[in-house]
Amino acid sequence: MNRPVLVRREQALRGGQPLSFAIGLVVALTIGIVLLLGAGHDPVAIYERMFVAALGDPDSWSVTLNRAVPLGLAGLAVAIAGSMGLWNIGAEGQILAGAMMAAGVARIGEGWPGPVLVTAILVGGVLGGSLWALGPAVARSQIGVNEILTTLMLNEVALRLAQWLIHGPWKDPDSFNFPLAPMIPDHGRLPTLFGRAHVGVIVALVVIALFAVAVNRTAWGFELRVAGSSGATARYAGISLERKTATVLVMAGGAAGLAGGIELAGTADRLTEGISNGFGYAGIIVAALALMRPSGVAAVAVLFGAVQIGGQSIQTMGVSSSVSTILQALILFGAIGAGVLSRYQVRMVAGDPGGDVVELGEAR
Amino acid sequence: MNEASLIGLCAATVSFGALLYLAALGEMVSEKAGILNLGVEGMMAMGAVTGFMTALEFGNPWLALVVAVLAGALVALLHGWFTVVLGAEQVVSGLSLTILGLGLAAYLGKNAVGRPPGAVLAPVDWPVLSDIRWVGPVLFQQSPMVYLSVLVGVVVWFVLSRTRTGLALRAAGESASTADAAGHSIVGLRLAAVAVGGGLAGASGAYLTLSLTPQWAEGITAGRGWIAVALVIFGAWKPGRVALGALLFGGTLALKTRLQTFGVDFSPILLSMLPYLLTIGVLVVISVRARNRPSPAPASLGIAYRREER
Repeated sequence: MNRPVLVRREQALRGGQPLSFAIGLVVALTIGIVLLLGAGHDPVAIYERMFVAALGDPDSWSVTLNRAVPLGLAGLAVAIAGSMGLWNIGAEGQILAGAMMAAGVARIGEGWPGPVLVTAILVGGVLGGSLWALGPAVARSQIGVNEILTTLMLNEVALRLAQWLIHGPWKDPDSFNFPLAPMIPDHGRLPTLFGRAHVGVIVALVVIALFAVAVNRTAWGFELRVAGSSGATARYAGISLERKTATVLVMAGGAAGLAGGIELAGTADRLTEGISNGFGYAGIIVAALALMRPSGVAAVAVLFGAVQIGGQSIQTMGVSSSVSTILQALILFGAIGAGVLSRYQVRMVAGDPGGDVVELGEAR
Repeated sequence: MNEASLIGLCAATVSFGALLYLAALGEMVSEKAGILNLGVEGMMAMGAVTGFMTALEFGNPWLALVVAVLAGALVALLHGWFTVVLGAEQVVSGLSLTILGLGLAAYLGKNAVGRPPGAVLAPVDWPVLSDIRWVGPVLFQQSPMVYLSVLVGVVVWFVLSRTRTGLALRAAGESASTADAAGHSIVGLRLAAVAVGGGLAGASGAYLTLSLTPQWAEGITAGRGWIAVALVIFGAWKPGRVALGALLFGGTLALKTRLQTFGVDFSPILLSMLPYLLTIGVLVVISVRARNRPSPAPASLGIAYRREER
């Protein structure tokens, strides 16, 4: 009886990752066409509108780049931890915590000069995110508490803390009783680069580049990756896992928190409960598509930014913006599937497989 | 605070508790087999929207429930295919499932927003019992989903702890290679567990839109899927303890909208942090205790099984 088995390739296909990514994109767009046709829409017109709105001219690019900032920094927050084999699922909460701290700084520093205030807001964001990750970091490194679950739980806590601030102590007295936090002062906003793109784009790019170099090219990063692939080896080499675990998670929180500060001073202009509109969760997909490498998150983030901005634009055509949410998840699923095929090939074999053959179901 | 509002609080505690219990039981079954599924929120949303729309179309709440269960199981199997068959990272796949499920539910339910339900799962009025003071309104005038959740809890407990299938399933989650060597199909067991988990999350979503709320709106699951994930940990992977936790967490959901009527000067928003903070507390306690005794978590939870690495 013939049956399909996955056979491990001697070498993973060259260029397998970009290829998987492209296949994921094609799969997602194809399923998207089916969904759109099912609802009686014209897929070509909708994809065209999405593309033009996201990448059609410099102005669209500026909006897309702005959106890529929180996605890239959240992706970085996941990838930094991922380089060491840790799961930071808490970027969503860390972005919110960063935004809250940054908003607090903006309240205190109303009278400060522009450049000082802007810097302080961004530093506040980093601090807020780091503090939010501190608990899971210490718990993981000192008592071994699973960081996946603690960081995940803290997302929901951060969301409610932000809601509480907006509905309670920070409610704008001039908001006619609407639950709105006050706007940050004008001179606390990020300067613009071109179109609507703000300085946060450069800040994010520099931070991502710094971490990419640190992880790939320094002794610190090497130790990180050793610890990620084998804790025992790392211990034998004298690397302090406890300390590294804690610093890495706190740094990851800081990267996400920076996104919160940038969103506050760059696009939102006030603390809202939706200021991290799922960016933290999308960041996990971004990091996964970048194979947990900080060097890869920027490019993926721009693509995801384009998908999100494109998705918003089609609402005027009567199409739900959830199309872009669906596309983002499908890109990942498509890429995971294609990624497996870049490392394995499917063969039909008769009877009992022998040799270096794994059955479908045990492949990785 | 009068008697009626206190009874109302207790009844709502049971209703919300059952909602969380159904989804948490599903997640527990999946985790017992070794598969962490962080897609509960998405599966719940899929159950909620498909159930509501089936009720709109056909007017039969039970058919709607069946469709919701199938929809939840179907999207769960996507997670199953990627994590069990292809060995993908469970965390990434599960979170993507949440994103996909929420997006798909919003897309499918666009025209159902704000519409009155086509059918509801009306509360069961138990003869005699429902007239008992206090106990009647709290326990015996509930939606059929409440009684169903108790039944499912008993069945899950029985199957997991008293049958060979349950033993095999737990073995797949504790030590997949041992279970494999004993002749069990790890792929089959894990896929089945993931599908059951999705089906129960779908049922929980349908309970929301066919009984508890009952209407459809984007984001109606409101983070309750995450509470279900938390509950499994809080209940230490034991159906009985998960039930107690469900009542406790359900109580915070019920109390949230009632704090003001009780004249309690405490922010309902801060109260809603409680389930997550309690779960973090439990996680810490588990880890501290783990130095002396084994953790209650399934040993192979989150780890893909590859026979070549046995």
